[in-house]
Amino acid sequence: MFAYIIRRVLATIPVMAVVALFVFSLLYIAPGDPAAVIAGDQATPADVERIRQSLGLDRPFLVRFGEWVWNILNGDMGVSIFTNLPVTTMIKQRIEPTLSLMVLTLILAVSIAVPMGVVAAWKHGTWIDRCVMGFAVLGFSVPVFVVGYVLAYVFALELDWLPVQGYTAFKEGLFPWLENLILPSIALGGVYIALIARITRATMLEVLQQDYVRTARAKGVGQRSILFLHALKNAAVPIVTVIGIGMALLIGGAVVTESVFAIPGLGRLTVDAILRRDYPVIQGVVLLFSFVYVLVNLLIDLLYTLFDPRIRY
Amino acid sequence: MDAPAIAAPLPDVLPPMKPRRGFIGYLRKNPTIAVGGALLLVMLGIVVFAPYLWTVDPTALAPAKRTREPSALYWFGTDMLGRDVYSRVLFGARVSMLVGFSVALLSSIVGLTIGLCSGFVRWADALVMRIMDGMMSIPPILLAIALMALTRGSVQNVIIAITIAEIPRVSRLVRGVVLSLREQPYVDAAVACGTRTPTIIWRHILPNTLAPITVQATYICASAMITEAILSFIGAGTPPIIPSWGNIMAEGRALWQVKPYIVFFPAVFLSITVLAVNLLGDGLRDALDPRMAKRL
Amino acid sequence: MDRRTFIKAGAGLGLAGHLGLSAPAHAQGANARTLKFVPQADLANFDPIWGTQYVVRNAAALVWDTLYGFDEHLVPKPQMAEGASVSADGLTWTIKLRAGLKFHDGSTVHAKDVVASLTRWSARDSMGQMLKAIQQELVAVDEVTVRWVLKKPYPKMLMALGKNSTPMAFIMPERIANTDPFKQIEEYIGSGPMRFVRNEWVPGSKAVFAKFEGYKPREEANSWLSGGKHMMVDRIEWIVMPDPGTASAALQNGEIDWWENPITDLVPQLKRNRNVRVDIADPLGNIGTFRMNHLTTPFNSLKARQAVLAALSQEDYMRALVGDDTNLWKALPGFFTPGTPLYTEEGGDLLKGPRNLDLAKRLLAESGYAGTPVTCIVAQDQPITKAQGDVTADLLKRIGFNVDYVATDWGTTGQRRAMKNPVGQGGWSMFHSWHAGADCINPAVYIACRANGDRAWFGWPSIPAVETAVDEWFEAPDLDAEKAAIRRLNRAGMENVTFAPTGFFLQYQAWRANVSGVVKGPLPFFWGVSKT
Repeated sequence: MFAYIIRRVLATIPVMAVVALFVFSLLYIAPGDPAAVIAGDQATPADVERIRQSLGLDRPFLVRFGEWVWNILNGDMGVSIFTNLPVTTMIKQRIEPTLSLMVLTLILAVSIAVPMGVVAAWKHGTWIDRCVMGFAVLGFSVPVFVVGYVLAYVFALELDWLPVQGYTAFKEGLFPWLENLILPSIALGGVYIALIARITRATMLEVLQQDYVRTARAKGVGQRSILFLHALKNAAVPIVTVIGIGMALLIGGAVVTESVFAIPGLGRLTVDAILRRDYPVIQGVVLLFSFVYVLVNLLIDLLYTLFDPRIRY
Repeated sequence: MDAPAIAAPLPDVLPPMKPRRGFIGYLRKNPTIAVGGALLLVMLGIVVFAPYLWTVDPTALAPAKRTREPSALYWFGTDMLGRDVYSRVLFGARVSMLVGFSVALLSSIVGLTIGLCSGFVRWADALVMRIMDGMMSIPPILLAIALMALTRGSVQNVIIAITIAEIPRVSRLVRGVVLSLREQPYVDAAVACGTRTPTIIWRHILPNTLAPITVQATYICASAMITEAILSFIGAGTPPIIPSWGNIMAEGRALWQVKPYIVFFPAVFLSITVLAVNLLGDGLRDALDPRMAKRL
Repeated sequence: MDRRTFIKAGAGLGLAGHLGLSAPAHAQGANARTLKFVPQADLANFDPIWGTQYVVRNAAALVWDTLYGFDEHLVPKPQMAEGASVSADGLTWTIKLRAGLKFHDGSTVHAKDVVASLTRWSARDSMGQMLKAIQQELVAVDEVTVRWVLKKPYPKMLMALGKNSTPMAFIMPERIANTDPFKQIEEYIGSGPMRFVRNEWVPGSKAVFAKFEGYKPREEANSWLSGGKHMMVDRIEWIVMPDPGTASAALQNGEIDWWENPITDLVPQLKRNRNVRVDIADPLGNIGTFRMNHLTTPFNSLKARQAVLAALSQEDYMRALVGDDTNLWKALPGFFTPGTPLYTEEGGDLLKGPRNLDLAKRLLAESGYAGTPVTCIVAQDQPITKAQGDVTADLLKRIGFNVDYVATDWGTTGQRRAMKNPVGQGGWSMFHSWHAGADCINPAVYIACRANGDRAWFGWPSIPAVETAVDEWFEAPDLDAEKAAIRRLNRAGMENVTFAPTGFFLQYQAWRANVSGVVKGPLPFFWGVSKT
């Protein structure tokens, strides 16, 4: 098992290397002079020349890539073209709201979606099942910003229960923090809930047909205990896997949700950076999100080995 | 990372196989295909006949008739520049469908090619799959955003960007199918008989990948339409002067409290279309690809 | 049911009551000392001499002070200056600083700071450039006295020092003012009533200003940029909201206190809310502009510019921009602010009457236009520029231009419009902006109406007849002579199309009922604004 952990951790290195290479070469995939691309439309020829020199375009690609990676490992992601601030600083300023939003959404989604899926599987074929499945397909079909606007309209504007926008730092208190994040996390959670609920239902259906469940049922074990103790435990691995992989949806959705709810996080930074073609910022954010994504999935893989004794590699 | 294809191969339990009795019977047994297919046909009809259906030029400005509520004259109302939302929504159907279908088709073709190569050419496999793993580690919307930031906004670039973001998933899927098929006795037999690899691919492998790829392509089509809307909505997609659903919603967002219909109609059309494609995908998966439904 | 009663009754609903989803009690007092303001745009850079965007100027007016400041009658009144005197020949200006002026770093404001600041400003400002051209010397006589010796009298000196059009003559510490005027400053230290809290600045999201305890307001009552700038709050937070819908909802919900530019379509809804006050922001209004680049294709050709004027419907622009309420806008076949003494429609005939698309097409053909792309820079995050841009794209297409619509944000527009490159190499053909009516009352403050080529505003029109008229206005002995000069200016500007005005319009501002002291004016004045 230990060897597996080591192997699994090591396996993420080539993945991250590919991500880094891809993000780095984005600039060079673009048609035209990379210095002009990074300098943006509004740069003067002198700016372009300065950037060309700082990029060191005369040196081999791999050398430059190596340097870039080295700088990033040392916490230097370059400087924003637009604000002239270091990208690392800009990310630091904005990481907390995004992280908060994603963590809260994760908790919310899992605690709604898993019971939903379990109940749907248990009541397989009934109207409850159909409702859950219907919701799940719908969750995939309605864009997150539409959900966001509807929620804001109903719960913030009409009912005035929750704020429409903004973010309060966690250090200001748990409740103000929570208050600002509830609507965005519900909006963002939609797709994610749909995904997890579907997987939970499918896995649970499979597990519920297994012999040991039948045995347990025959023995007269209570339904709740069968569902949550026996079946869900055994269905956990695929569910957790999907939770990890679904993070990609969450990250993509955060970009939109933050601009709907005016949350000053990385998502809005990304949106601003696109309109301004602020390349170093885009690179930094993409790299960071991908890193988080890989890391989360690594952790989940490693957790299996602890949770599920059957998994031996 | 050895992750199963994420996009949305949402597995479900297979309904027991039932005897088919004609086309109608088939649809009755597969209500999701029927509903999804019917909705999609309506949308396709809109796409094809849009120029006959719309009441005015969808890009024509009429500031004197701005923000009119939906009425007999303006079925879906007008936006803040007096453009007819109904006509724009119909035009938007064309953009959305074009993007959805193009991305599904292109990413399937490219993914199929990569997956086949990777499944058959041993030395390429490791390299290609590492690259695909890396690309899969970048959340697709983010990847599409990054690609869009490099180029000028245009429908063509949106299609390319989303396609690139979807390719790794298709490749992985195809490779998985190829690898499992290679273990099949009949493929072994064919190899033993000295059949050439292209022939094996053509006769034995390709037909077997078509079903899972069709299902996958349907889901990709649905997610591509959502992605296009998101990209346009945040200003990184179709240029604002082309009325795509995302753009119409982006323009109406400032007025969502007072003139909700500007956002409402494109949102409903988008949701229905994506729903239709998703339902079709679910139905196709149950009908075509029992293996995929079982495998997680 | 508002949120507070909801939270009190929250037990009924379980969740919210359970979690106690309300602001902690201690925050209430602090709340009244913090003013949350939604500005018209993001404060992406913060050098009021280098950048001429209104949002930069508005923030800078908190942090930096000026020697003189306009009052509400557009008369310059002493602000940092105790007073100024001019020699009988009109050539030597002596300006004395009032006592007690301090920069935010604690140092005293000296005459040398003023000299450095005015030197940097005069390199960028159009009135400043005129002064620089006739400058003999600008020196600090002693710690508190500045002497500006000119070769020619410049009667509008105090207007130059106190005007609110950009760039304003802000006074910075010498070391900062020594920055190259074409490079951005990197330190934001001023002597204004509020400090800039730099470590809380998140471009794209917020900017924070804290009360400067060392500020000594003047004795006089405040009026626009003049008089005592008494700050009634300790902290001003600028919260950037690119989405007007969100800003409107936040204001109605009491999450923000003051919104600088609500879009007109949302005003009826705001007016219905009894906790919100809505009023015209500035009776002098705004002038929308279609700014053409006289250096590049196709608008380096006069015929192409006239083609636009012939087909341009100001009504279309104004309706797209402010809506159906005709009290809020009017057509403007001239350059100057309607209702002010120098307003004239002289020469504006091409903008009047039914729009003539055929004439426009003919003019375009005569211009020899060969279908090259017309690069339109359209900021999507400003409702004013976005609406104008969409009307323009449609207009230009109908005339027969090959429109290249570049969707971008206002910050980038500010940078890109400074490029003189040809189209296709980062250059541009046109962009939209707007000017506060207060900045369009005469050629001294109205830099955009000037046509002195390289030194003119973006677009760099070069029209000698306009400049001759400007000189005549500066030298005009009385109002009638001024009016005559402006009529000639208007005619030359219209005939040669310095730029195309898209109309005159009023804008709203909106604030919470518990905020008092908000005044009408060309920029938000924070002094005297309090909150309960």
